[in-house]
Amino acid sequence: MRFAALSRFAVATVALCLLSAVMIAQESSPPRRTTNAPPKPSGAATPRTADGHPDLTGVWNGLGDNLNGIPNQIANNGLSIESDSVTRDLHSGLLIATFPRNTNRPQNNEQAERAASLLRRVGSNRPVYKPEYWEMVHYLDHNSNEEDPSNNCMPAGIPRGGIPSYIGQQGTHLMFVYPGQGGLIATQTMYRMIPLDGRKHTPLQELDGTHTGEAIAHWDGDTLVVDSWGFNTNTWFDQIGGYFHSENMHVIERFHREGNTLTWTATVNDPDVLLEPWTTTPRVALLNPRPNALLPESLPCSERDLGHVVTKEHH
Amino acid sequence: MTRVQIGALLTISLVGLVLAGPLSAHHSIQAQFDINKHVTVSGSIAKVEFINPHSYLTVNVKDADGKIIKWAFEMAAAAQLRAKGMSRADRGGLKPGDEVTVVALAARDGSNSGLLQELKMADGREFKFTPDPNGN
Repeated sequence: MRFAALSRFAVATVALCLLSAVMIAQESSPPRRTTNAPPKPSGAATPRTADGHPDLTGVWNGLGDNLNGIPNQIANNGLSIESDSVTRDLHSGLLIATFPRNTNRPQNNEQAERAASLLRRVGSNRPVYKPEYWEMVHYLDHNSNEEDPSNNCMPAGIPRGGIPSYIGQQGTHLMFVYPGQGGLIATQTMYRMIPLDGRKHTPLQELDGTHTGEAIAHWDGDTLVVDSWGFNTNTWFDQIGGYFHSENMHVIERFHREGNTLTWTATVNDPDVLLEPWTTTPRVALLNPRPNALLPESLPCSERDLGHVVTKEHH
Repeated sequence: MTRVQIGALLTISLVGLVLAGPLSAHHSIQAQFDINKHVTVSGSIAKVEFINPHSYLTVNVKDADGKIIKWAFEMAAAAQLRAKGMSRADRGGLKPGDEVTVVALAARDGSNSGLLQELKMADGREFKFTPDPNGN
Protein backbone atom coordinates (compact mmCIF):
# COMPACT_ATOMS: atom_id res chain seq x y z
CA MET A 1 0.00 0.00 0.00
CA ARG A 2 2.77 2.37 0.99
CA PHE A 3 4.61 1.41 -2.14
CA ALA A 4 1.57 2.16 -4.27
CA ALA A 5 1.23 5.53 -2.62
CA LEU A 6 4.87 6.25 -3.31
CA SER A 7 4.36 5.33 -6.93
CA ARG A 8 1.40 7.65 -7.26
CA PHE A 9 3.37 10.43 -5.61
CA ALA A 10 6.30 9.87 -7.91
CA VAL A 11 4.21 9.85 -11.05
CA ALA A 12 2.23 12.89 -9.99
CA THR A 13 5.36 14.74 -9.02
CA VAL A 14 7.22 13.97 -12.19
CA ALA A 15 4.24 15.08 -14.21
CA LEU A 16 4.39 18.39 -12.40
CA CYS A 17 8.07 18.94 -12.43
CA LEU A 18 9.74 17.89 -15.62
CA LEU A 19 11.46 20.56 -17.58
CA SER A 20 11.35 23.72 -15.60
CA ALA A 21 14.45 24.69 -17.52
CA VAL A 22 12.34 26.10 -20.32
CA MET A 23 10.90 28.65 -17.95
CA ILE A 24 14.28 29.41 -16.56
CA ALA A 25 15.66 29.96 -20.02
CA GLN A 26 13.16 32.76 -20.36
CA GLU A 27 14.57 34.50 -17.31
CA SER A 28 17.25 36.95 -18.27
CA SER A 29 18.79 37.18 -14.83
CA PRO A 30 20.23 35.97 -12.59
CA PRO A 31 22.20 33.33 -14.48
CA ARG A 32 20.73 29.87 -14.30
CA ARG A 33 22.18 27.75 -11.52
CA THR A 34 22.18 24.00 -11.76
CA THR A 35 23.31 23.36 -8.21
CA ASN A 36 22.53 24.60 -4.73
CA ALA A 37 25.51 22.83 -3.19
CA PRO A 38 27.14 24.97 -0.49
CA PRO A 39 30.23 26.77 -1.74
CA LYS A 40 33.59 25.35 -0.77
CA PRO A 41 36.04 27.56 1.13
CA SER A 42 38.32 29.37 -1.27
CA GLY A 43 41.43 28.38 0.63
CA ALA A 44 41.96 31.94 1.75
CA ALA A 45 43.17 32.40 5.32
CA THR A 46 40.58 33.14 7.96
CA PRO A 47 41.17 36.65 9.24
CA ARG A 48 41.57 37.01 13.00
CA THR A 49 41.16 39.83 15.45
CA ALA A 50 43.90 40.99 17.80
CA ASP A 51 42.71 38.60 20.49
CA GLY A 52 43.20 35.64 18.15
CA HIS A 53 39.56 34.80 17.46
CA PRO A 54 38.25 34.51 13.90
CA ASP A 55 36.95 37.82 12.59
CA LEU A 56 33.44 37.30 11.24
CA THR A 57 33.13 40.90 10.08
CA GLY A 58 31.83 41.15 6.56
CA VAL A 59 28.93 41.31 4.11
CA TRP A 60 27.76 37.70 3.87
CA ASN A 61 25.60 37.89 0.77
CA GLY A 62 28.13 36.66 -1.73
CA LEU A 63 25.78 34.14 -3.31
CA GLY A 64 23.45 36.91 -4.27
CA ASP A 65 20.33 34.73 -4.21
CA ASN A 66 18.69 36.97 -1.70
CA LEU A 67 19.65 39.60 0.78
CA ASN A 68 20.11 37.06 3.52
CA GLY A 69 22.89 35.33 1.63
CA ILE A 70 21.15 32.01 1.98
CA PRO A 71 22.18 29.62 -0.79
CA ASN A 72 18.57 29.19 -1.72
CA GLN A 73 15.23 28.19 -0.39
CA ILE A 74 15.70 24.53 -1.14
CA ALA A 75 18.95 24.24 0.79
CA ASN A 76 17.11 25.67 3.74
CA ASN A 77 14.96 22.61 3.72
CA GLY A 78 17.75 20.12 3.60
CA LEU A 79 18.16 19.11 -0.03
CA SER A 80 21.38 19.57 -1.90
CA ILE A 81 21.07 19.71 -5.67
CA GLU A 82 24.70 19.01 -6.41
CA SER A 83 24.50 18.74 -10.16
CA ASP A 84 22.07 17.95 -12.93
CA SER A 85 22.31 14.33 -11.87
CA VAL A 86 22.94 14.26 -8.11
CA THR A 87 20.42 15.13 -5.40
CA ARG A 88 21.21 14.50 -1.76
CA ASP A 89 19.32 14.69 1.49
CA LEU A 90 21.73 16.75 3.58
CA HIS A 91 20.57 15.40 6.94
CA SER A 92 20.89 11.72 6.15
CA GLY A 93 23.66 12.18 3.60
CA LEU A 94 21.81 9.78 1.32
CA LEU A 95 21.48 10.24 -2.39
CA ILE A 96 17.86 10.41 -3.40
CA ALA A 97 18.78 9.13 -6.84
CA THR A 98 20.96 10.05 -9.77
CA PHE A 99 19.22 10.61 -13.05
CA PRO A 100 19.56 13.34 -15.66
CA ARG A 101 17.02 16.09 -15.97
CA ASN A 102 14.68 16.10 -18.93
CA THR A 103 14.71 19.53 -20.53
CA ASN A 104 12.14 19.39 -23.31
CA ARG A 105 8.71 19.97 -21.82
CA PRO A 106 7.25 23.11 -20.27
CA GLN A 107 5.66 23.39 -16.88
CA ASN A 108 3.05 25.99 -16.08
CA ASN A 109 3.02 28.23 -13.05
CA GLU A 110 0.44 26.21 -11.17
CA GLN A 111 2.38 23.00 -11.67
CA ALA A 112 5.67 24.64 -10.71
CA GLU A 113 4.29 26.09 -7.50
CA ARG A 114 2.66 22.87 -6.37
CA ALA A 115 5.76 20.89 -7.16
CA ALA A 116 7.97 23.37 -5.30
CA SER A 117 5.70 23.13 -2.26
CA LEU A 118 6.22 19.38 -2.26
CA LEU A 119 9.96 19.70 -2.68
CA ARG A 120 10.27 22.03 0.28
CA ARG A 121 8.78 19.28 2.42
CA VAL A 122 10.89 16.36 1.25
CA GLY A 123 13.95 16.89 3.48
CA SER A 124 14.26 14.43 6.35
CA ASN A 125 15.46 16.85 9.03
CA ARG A 126 12.26 17.89 10.81
CA PRO A 127 11.49 19.04 14.36
CA VAL A 128 9.61 16.51 16.46
CA TYR A 129 6.60 18.02 18.21
CA LYS A 130 4.70 16.54 21.10
CA PRO A 131 1.81 14.51 19.71
CA GLU A 132 -0.84 16.95 20.86
CA TYR A 133 0.69 19.74 18.73
CA TRP A 134 0.95 18.05 15.32
CA GLU A 135 -2.59 18.97 14.36
CA MET A 136 -1.77 22.62 15.05
CA VAL A 137 1.46 22.42 13.03
CA HIS A 138 -0.40 20.95 10.07
CA TYR A 139 -3.16 23.54 10.37
CA LEU A 140 -0.65 26.41 10.40
CA ASP A 141 1.24 25.03 7.42
CA HIS A 142 -1.91 24.36 5.40
CA ASN A 143 -3.31 27.81 6.18
CA SER A 144 -0.08 29.77 5.96
CA ASN A 145 -1.66 32.42 3.71
CA GLU A 146 -3.54 33.54 6.81
CA GLU A 147 -1.44 32.16 9.66
CA ASP A 148 2.22 32.80 8.79
CA PRO A 149 3.36 35.34 11.38
CA SER A 150 5.80 36.88 8.89
CA ASN A 151 2.89 37.97 6.68
CA ASN A 152 2.31 41.69 6.35
CA CYS A 153 6.04 42.46 6.46
CA MET A 154 6.60 41.34 10.03
CA PRO A 155 10.07 40.24 11.22
CA ALA A 156 11.17 36.68 10.49
CA GLY A 157 12.60 36.30 14.00
CA ILE A 158 15.29 33.90 15.17
CA PRO A 159 16.33 31.45 13.84
CA ARG A 160 14.00 31.83 10.83
CA GLY A 161 16.02 34.85 9.72
CA GLY A 162 18.95 32.53 8.95
CA ILE A 163 22.40 33.99 8.41
CA PRO A 164 22.72 37.75 8.82
CA SER A 165 23.76 39.60 5.68
CA TYR A 166 26.18 41.72 7.67
CA ILE A 167 28.23 40.92 10.75
CA GLY A 168 30.28 43.55 12.50
CA GLN A 169 32.59 42.17 15.20
CA GLN A 170 33.58 45.01 17.45
CA GLY A 171 35.40 43.67 20.48
CA THR A 172 32.82 43.60 23.22
CA HIS A 173 29.83 43.15 20.97
CA LEU A 174 28.61 42.02 17.55
CA MET A 175 26.21 43.72 15.16
CA PHE A 176 24.04 41.48 12.99
CA VAL A 177 21.94 43.02 10.19
CA TYR A 178 19.17 41.15 8.38
CA PRO A 179 17.84 43.36 5.57
CA GLY A 180 14.17 43.11 4.78
CA GLN A 181 13.47 40.88 1.83
CA GLY A 182 10.74 39.91 -0.59
CA GLY A 183 11.44 36.29 -1.42
CA LEU A 184 9.79 33.18 -0.05
CA ILE A 185 8.75 35.16 2.97
CA ALA A 186 8.60 38.94 2.90
CA THR A 187 10.05 40.33 6.07
CA GLN A 188 11.01 43.50 7.79
CA THR A 189 14.63 44.46 8.46
CA MET A 190 16.02 43.11 11.74
CA TYR A 191 19.19 43.92 13.62
CA ARG A 192 20.74 42.39 16.71
CA MET A 193 23.35 43.93 19.02
CA ILE A 194 24.93 40.96 20.80
CA PRO A 195 27.30 41.33 23.77
CA LEU A 196 30.53 39.36 23.67
CA ASP A 197 31.79 40.41 27.09
CA GLY A 198 31.06 37.38 29.22
CA ARG A 199 27.77 38.58 30.66
CA LYS A 200 25.02 36.11 31.53
CA HIS A 201 21.39 36.03 30.44
CA THR A 202 18.73 38.04 32.21
CA PRO A 203 16.48 35.53 33.98
CA LEU A 204 13.85 34.45 31.47
CA GLN A 205 10.93 35.45 33.66
CA GLU A 206 12.22 39.03 33.79
CA LEU A 207 12.25 39.44 30.00
CA ASP A 208 9.44 40.69 27.83
CA GLY A 209 9.33 38.50 24.77
CA THR A 210 10.65 39.97 21.51
CA HIS A 211 11.07 38.76 17.92
CA THR A 212 14.85 38.37 18.25
CA GLY A 213 15.02 37.62 21.97
CA GLU A 214 17.93 38.38 24.26
CA ALA A 215 21.23 37.17 22.81
CA ILE A 216 24.63 36.69 24.42
CA ALA A 217 27.71 35.32 22.67
CA HIS A 218 30.87 33.46 23.53
CA TRP A 219 33.60 31.53 21.72
CA ASP A 220 33.84 27.76 21.66
CA GLY A 221 37.29 27.39 20.14
CA ASP A 222 37.02 29.03 16.73
CA THR A 223 33.22 28.83 16.66
CA LEU A 224 31.06 31.76 17.74
CA VAL A 225 28.11 30.61 19.85
CA VAL A 226 25.09 32.91 20.11
CA ASP A 227 22.69 31.95 22.88
CA SER A 228 19.20 33.51 22.75
CA TRP A 229 16.02 33.35 24.78
CA GLY A 230 13.26 35.75 25.73
CA PHE A 231 11.19 35.42 22.56
CA ASN A 232 7.59 36.29 21.87
CA THR A 233 5.41 33.72 20.11
CA ASN A 234 4.96 35.75 16.90
CA THR A 235 7.50 33.88 14.78
CA TRP A 236 8.05 30.44 13.27
CA PHE A 237 11.47 28.88 13.63
CA ASP A 238 11.98 27.51 10.11
CA GLN A 239 11.28 28.85 6.64
CA ILE A 240 8.08 26.88 6.07
CA GLY A 241 6.13 24.15 7.80
CA GLY A 242 4.11 25.96 10.44
CA TYR A 243 6.81 25.39 13.06
CA PHE A 244 5.53 27.52 15.91
CA HIS A 245 7.20 27.78 19.32
CA SER A 246 6.47 28.85 22.86
CA GLU A 247 7.85 31.88 24.72
CA ASN A 248 10.25 29.49 26.45
CA MET A 249 12.14 28.69 23.22
CA HIS A 250 15.91 28.68 23.68
CA VAL A 251 18.08 28.98 20.53
CA ILE A 252 21.77 28.22 20.19
CA GLU A 253 23.37 29.41 16.94
CA ARG A 254 26.87 28.41 15.91
CA PHE A 255 28.89 30.42 13.37
CA HIS A 256 32.11 29.04 11.93
CA ARG A 257 34.19 30.98 9.43
CA GLU A 258 36.62 29.22 7.12
CA GLY A 259 38.19 31.66 4.70
CA ASN A 260 35.36 33.18 2.68
CA THR A 261 32.60 30.85 3.89
CA LEU A 262 30.44 31.04 6.99
CA THR A 263 28.67 27.91 8.21
CA TRP A 264 25.66 28.34 10.47
CA THR A 265 23.45 26.01 12.46
CA ALA A 266 20.73 26.74 14.97
CA THR A 267 19.49 24.40 17.68
CA VAL A 268 15.95 25.02 18.91
CA ASN A 269 15.16 23.78 22.38
CA ASP A 270 11.54 24.22 23.37
CA PRO A 271 10.41 21.57 25.86
CA ASP A 272 6.94 23.14 25.96
CA VAL A 273 6.15 21.96 22.44
CA LEU A 274 9.03 19.80 21.15
CA LEU A 275 9.90 16.28 22.26
CA GLU A 276 13.59 16.95 21.70
CA PRO A 277 15.88 19.78 20.60
CA TRP A 278 16.03 20.29 16.84
CA THR A 279 19.09 21.42 14.88
CA THR A 280 18.88 22.92 11.42
CA THR A 281 20.75 21.40 8.54
CA PRO A 282 23.95 23.50 8.26
CA ARG A 283 23.70 26.46 5.91
CA VAL A 284 26.62 28.20 4.28
CA ALA A 285 26.95 31.85 3.31
CA LEU A 286 29.64 33.25 1.06
CA LEU A 287 31.48 36.49 1.76
CA ASN A 288 30.69 39.17 -0.79
CA PRO A 289 33.72 39.01 -3.11
CA ARG A 290 33.98 42.79 -3.44
CA PRO A 291 36.21 44.08 -0.64
CA ASN A 292 34.32 47.38 -0.56
CA ALA A 293 30.87 45.77 -0.60
CA LEU A 294 28.08 47.55 1.23
CA LEU A 295 24.56 46.47 2.05
CA PRO A 296 22.03 48.08 -0.27
CA GLU A 297 19.10 50.00 1.11
CA SER A 298 16.46 47.69 2.45
CA LEU A 299 13.34 48.38 0.40
CA PRO A 300 10.30 49.40 2.40
CA CYS A 301 7.80 46.59 2.76
CA SER A 302 4.10 47.12 2.08
CA GLU A 303 1.83 44.13 1.74
CA ARG A 304 -0.75 44.51 -1.07
CA ASP A 305 -1.33 40.93 -2.14
CA LEU A 306 -2.57 38.67 0.61
CA GLY A 307 -5.93 40.40 0.78
CA HIS A 308 -6.54 39.27 -2.81
CA VAL A 309 -5.50 35.65 -2.38
CA VAL A 310 -8.54 33.46 -2.92
CA THR A 311 -7.24 29.89 -2.40
CA LYS A 312 -5.06 28.08 0.11
CA GLU A 313 -2.27 27.49 -2.39
CA HIS A 314 0.94 28.33 -0.57
CA HIS A 315 4.62 27.63 -0.31
CA MET B 1 7.18 -0.18 -10.58
CA THR B 2 10.39 -0.86 -8.71
CA ARG B 3 11.85 1.24 -5.95
CA VAL B 4 14.70 2.27 -8.20
CA GLN B 5 12.28 3.46 -10.84
CA ILE B 6 10.33 5.44 -8.28
CA GLY B 7 13.54 6.99 -7.05
CA ALA B 8 14.42 7.92 -10.59
CA LEU B 9 11.12 9.65 -11.14
CA LEU B 10 11.40 11.50 -7.88
CA THR B 11 14.86 12.71 -8.61
CA ILE B 12 14.06 13.87 -12.09
CA SER B 13 11.20 15.77 -10.53
CA LEU B 14 13.22 17.24 -7.70
CA VAL B 15 16.12 18.39 -9.83
CA GLY B 16 13.72 20.00 -12.22
CA LEU B 17 11.91 21.70 -9.40
CA VAL B 18 14.93 23.42 -8.02
CA LEU B 19 15.14 25.44 -11.16
CA ALA B 20 11.62 26.73 -10.71
CA GLY B 21 12.92 29.12 -8.08
CA PRO B 22 12.82 32.39 -10.01
CA LEU B 23 9.04 32.28 -10.12
CA SER B 24 8.81 32.19 -6.36
CA ALA B 25 6.93 34.98 -4.70
CA HIS B 26 5.93 35.45 -1.11
CA HIS B 27 2.50 34.20 -2.08
CA SER B 28 1.25 31.66 -4.59
CA ILE B 29 0.78 33.42 -7.93
CA GLN B 30 -2.09 31.27 -9.07
CA ALA B 31 -3.85 31.69 -5.70
CA GLN B 32 -4.21 35.38 -6.52
CA PHE B 33 -4.19 35.58 -10.31
CA ASP B 34 -5.84 33.58 -13.09
CA ILE B 35 -2.91 32.32 -15.12
CA ASN B 36 -5.24 31.68 -18.07
CA LYS B 37 -6.97 35.05 -18.16
CA HIS B 38 -5.35 38.28 -19.33
CA VAL B 39 -6.64 41.78 -18.88
CA THR B 40 -5.50 44.78 -20.94
CA VAL B 41 -5.97 48.36 -19.76
CA SER B 42 -4.65 51.72 -20.93
CA GLY B 43 -4.17 54.82 -18.87
CA SER B 44 -1.65 57.15 -17.29
CA ILE B 45 0.79 56.16 -14.60
CA ALA B 46 -0.20 57.39 -11.17
CA LYS B 47 2.58 55.85 -9.09
CA VAL B 48 5.64 53.59 -9.44
CA GLU B 49 6.78 51.91 -6.23
CA PHE B 50 9.92 49.80 -5.88
CA ILE B 51 9.03 48.02 -2.67
CA ASN B 52 8.96 44.61 -0.99
CA PRO B 53 7.42 42.08 -1.24
CA HIS B 54 6.60 43.20 -4.81
CA SER B 55 6.95 46.43 -6.70
CA TYR B 56 3.68 48.02 -7.75
CA LEU B 57 2.49 50.12 -10.66
CA THR B 58 -0.67 52.18 -10.18
CA VAL B 59 -2.42 53.33 -13.36
CA ASN B 60 -5.28 55.83 -13.68
CA VAL B 61 -7.76 54.44 -16.18
CA LYS B 62 -10.77 56.37 -17.48
CA ASP B 63 -14.02 54.47 -17.61
CA ALA B 64 -16.79 55.04 -20.17
CA ASP B 65 -18.05 58.04 -18.21
CA GLY B 66 -14.62 59.62 -18.00
CA LYS B 67 -14.30 58.78 -14.33
CA ILE B 68 -10.79 57.85 -13.16
CA ILE B 69 -10.47 54.26 -11.90
CA LYS B 70 -7.24 53.18 -10.24
CA TRP B 71 -5.71 49.86 -11.28
CA ALA B 72 -2.87 48.29 -9.28
CA PHE B 73 -0.39 45.95 -10.93
CA GLU B 74 2.02 43.73 -9.10
CA MET B 75 5.44 43.78 -10.74
CA ALA B 76 8.67 41.85 -10.51
CA ALA B 77 11.38 42.47 -7.93
CA ALA B 78 13.07 45.85 -8.10
CA ALA B 79 16.37 44.36 -9.27
CA GLN B 80 14.65 42.67 -12.20
CA LEU B 81 12.86 45.87 -13.13
CA ARG B 82 16.12 47.79 -13.10
CA ALA B 83 17.75 45.07 -15.20
CA LYS B 84 15.02 45.68 -17.77
CA GLY B 85 15.85 49.37 -17.90
CA MET B 86 13.32 50.66 -15.39
CA SER B 87 15.48 52.96 -13.40
CA ARG B 88 15.28 56.72 -13.23
CA ALA B 89 12.77 58.25 -15.60
CA ASP B 90 15.58 60.11 -17.38
CA ARG B 91 17.24 56.77 -18.13
CA GLY B 92 14.17 55.26 -19.73
CA GLY B 93 12.17 54.44 -16.65
CA LEU B 94 8.61 55.31 -15.80
CA LYS B 95 7.22 58.48 -14.33
CA PRO B 96 3.77 59.62 -13.26
CA GLY B 97 1.76 60.86 -16.22
CA ASP B 98 3.26 58.48 -18.79
CA GLU B 99 0.60 56.91 -20.98
CA VAL B 100 0.87 53.12 -20.95
CA THR B 101 -0.99 49.99 -21.95
CA VAL B 102 -0.69 47.13 -19.50
CA VAL B 103 -1.27 43.44 -20.17
CA ALA B 104 -1.66 41.53 -16.91
CA LEU B 105 -2.94 38.31 -15.46
CA ALA B 106 -6.38 39.07 -14.06
CA ALA B 107 -7.02 39.07 -10.32
CA ARG B 108 -9.14 36.10 -9.33
CA ASP B 109 -11.12 38.16 -6.86
CA GLY B 110 -12.36 40.50 -9.60
CA SER B 111 -10.61 43.56 -8.21
CA ASN B 112 -8.99 46.20 -10.42
CA SER B 113 -5.59 44.60 -10.12
CA GLY B 114 -3.36 42.11 -11.87
CA LEU B 115 0.09 40.64 -12.31
CA LEU B 116 1.92 42.71 -14.91
CA GLN B 117 3.11 40.76 -17.93
CA GLU B 118 3.70 43.39 -20.60
CA LEU B 119 3.99 47.15 -20.59
CA LYS B 120 3.65 49.20 -23.76
CA MET B 121 4.84 52.80 -23.70
CA ALA B 122 3.49 55.66 -25.81
CA ASP B 123 6.91 55.96 -27.50
CA GLY B 124 6.59 52.43 -28.83
CA ARG B 125 8.79 50.65 -26.33
CA GLU B 126 7.53 47.35 -24.94
CA PHE B 127 8.67 45.57 -21.81
CA LYS B 128 7.99 41.93 -20.93
CA PHE B 129 8.60 41.06 -17.34
CA THR B 130 7.63 37.50 -16.58
CA PRO B 131 7.76 34.16 -18.34
CA ASP B 132 4.58 32.85 -19.84
CA PRO B 133 2.73 31.43 -16.84
CA ASN B 134 1.79 28.42 -18.89
CA GLY B 135 5.35 27.69 -19.86
CA ASN B 136 4.80 28.28 -23.56
